[in-house]
Amino acid sequence: MDYISILKDISTYPGISGREEKLSKYIKRMFAKYCDETIIDQFYNVIGIKKGYGKINKKIMVTAHLDEIGFIVKGIDEKGFVSFSNIGGIDGKILLAQEVTIHGKKDIQGIIGAKPPHLLKPEESKKAVNIKDLSIDTGLSYNEVKECVEVGDFISFSAKPMVLKNNKFSSKSLDNRAGVAILIDIMERLDKLRYDWDVHFVATVQEEVGLRGAIIAAYNVCPDMAIVLDACHGDIPDVSKDSVYQLGKGPAIGIGPNLHTKLTKELIEYAKEENIPYQIDVEPGNTGTEAWAIQVSKTGVPTLLVSFPLKYMHTTVETVHLNDIKNAGKLISGFISTIGNEMGEISCC
Amino acid sequence: MFDLLKKLTQTTGVSGNEEEIRNVIKEEIKGKVDQITVDTLGNLIAVKKGNGKKIMVAAHMDEIGVMATFIDDNGFVRFSSIGGVNQYNSIGQKVRFNNGTIGALHYEQKLDDLKNLKLSKMYIDIGVDSKEEALKLVGIGDVACFVGDCVKQGNIIISKALDDRSGCAVVIDAINNMPKTENEIYYVFTVQEELGLRGAKTAAYQIKPDLAIAVDVTLTGDTPNSHLMEVKCGKGPAIKIKDRSIICHPKVKKLLENSAKKINIPYQYEVLEAGGSDPGAIHISAGGVPSGAISIPCRYVHSPVETACLTDIENAVKLLIESLCSFSG
Repeated sequence: MDYISILKDISTYPGISGREEKLSKYIKRMFAKYCDETIIDQFYNVIGIKKGYGKINKKIMVTAHLDEIGFIVKGIDEKGFVSFSNIGGIDGKILLAQEVTIHGKKDIQGIIGAKPPHLLKPEESKKAVNIKDLSIDTGLSYNEVKECVEVGDFISFSAKPMVLKNNKFSSKSLDNRAGVAILIDIMERLDKLRYDWDVHFVATVQEEVGLRGAIIAAYNVCPDMAIVLDACHGDIPDVSKDSVYQLGKGPAIGIGPNLHTKLTKELIEYAKEENIPYQIDVEPGNTGTEAWAIQVSKTGVPTLLVSFPLKYMHTTVETVHLNDIKNAGKLISGFISTIGNEMGEISCC
Repeated sequence: MFDLLKKLTQTTGVSGNEEEIRNVIKEEIKGKVDQITVDTLGNLIAVKKGNGKKIMVAAHMDEIGVMATFIDDNGFVRFSSIGGVNQYNSIGQKVRFNNGTIGALHYEQKLDDLKNLKLSKMYIDIGVDSKEEALKLVGIGDVACFVGDCVKQGNIIISKALDDRSGCAVVIDAINNMPKTENEIYYVFTVQEELGLRGAKTAAYQIKPDLAIAVDVTLTGDTPNSHLMEVKCGKGPAIKIKDRSIICHPKVKKLLENSAKKINIPYQYEVLEAGGSDPGAIHISAGGVPSGAISIPCRYVHSPVETACLTDIENAVKLLIESLCSFSG
């Protein structure tokens, strides 16, 4: 798979939590190339099904959320400045001097301004940046803005992707479009493998606002096993080593009460046997991923978590190592092909 | 409408103890629907049968209040909050227990800085001088609602519990004025919204509707030095875009928008940065229910002087009726 071109493509496509319809249709077309059946549910979760070769009717669900963080229009002032509120977790500090697109009646480019250093008072430069104090400048007058922008319209970042040295790649929304790219990679790899269970690939919506798409998808798909793909924090200076993972050292396999003990062990064993690099992601409680919601859907779902290290999460320069993306695809597709007919009820350990 | 609002707001129904308000609402809609049931949690579910789409309408009937936790030797009652009770809004208020006992709510005198005020530094004075006397009137675990008259002044209504008895009034009035429609409508007066959207969750699971519309209050940005928010009292019911529990389904937003335009009422958009509401629980129930909300702009929410505009409430009724009739999937 050409990771760079697919990541460039899907990381720049707007799809803020709650407004994913267009992106979902786009992703559906990509899924359709590899899947026996592709559907979009009422909430715009994209579900691609690859039928297994086995005789029993078992399903594994693999999810990666397709939504991204962004903003919503809160108001328009008399000079035409657009105030906004965040959708998903965003630190105000990263917003100064950003380019954005307001998705009104038509798309409008805008910038979030910043006071020049020459005019900053000393005490101001020390202050935190609060989203409620910022606004978007579109260059348009109040009346012009009013014509095409309404309270409640959504706003996305419009940052450009960049290929970095040593197989690294940077773009907005790699959390979790890189996960969606891995889904497609798994599909492509499964085309060359034999696997018994049906595989339901779900690119979910509204993860960033509370795992909502996954709650809906898990209920409807009702899988016998689930694997969640998401980003974990990459190693950056000045943060504690126990919550970050090295870029390029392989995907991280989650361990903890949110995840199925026995299957996790089997996944780790598989990685060892196949010499696929991996890291261990210790999760003592809520993983903060869709695994948390899926595990307790209906009567419970044995759930696994595979994440790829990503630096600068929830900024416009999220950075991943392409080898980690490739190895995550290799690990999960290979593991799926080992799940055989003989695997009966999955007990807790 | 004012008489109905007065009756509903002045009835007690603290979250988890909704019997009294449930009975009042039941009386108001008796004979106007095909079936009325009360479910395990206490949700009141009124059904208008039909062969069309299944729609759930939700308005929560519970209100915030307090619960007695401890009575000291001198008969002063300590309490815990039920739902989001603000300590500053509570100073100098009256509360009423279900048996009619009234208490004055105040704080310990030695507190020198009001910034440190917590509900645990406050107590209810029911005017007795011993624990024994107090226990004759108030038991541990008894709940009380805040006291706040319902008054009308011009177009403005001031009362306790407009959150969300104003929503209940909208739904009751819609039931009473519904034209013929093929859609099957489940009018649900939910419980325990103030404790975390709990009644709506179980109601949605059993009904599994095609669409859900909630009617509740929302905050406004039209008072002196208030937070920036576009919603204003008197500018029409608000169509919810989002709050902390939901981003409303674009199809429901469209339905409400088109309905408002069709009947030519003023409307506004609600982007609420704090707080959740019933559709938050409904939309992720039972495999997903496209949901939205009609919100009544209301000042001073969670105080005994909640303030809303009568015309907004009346227009909310019209908007609800039109939306219920025009929804076809």
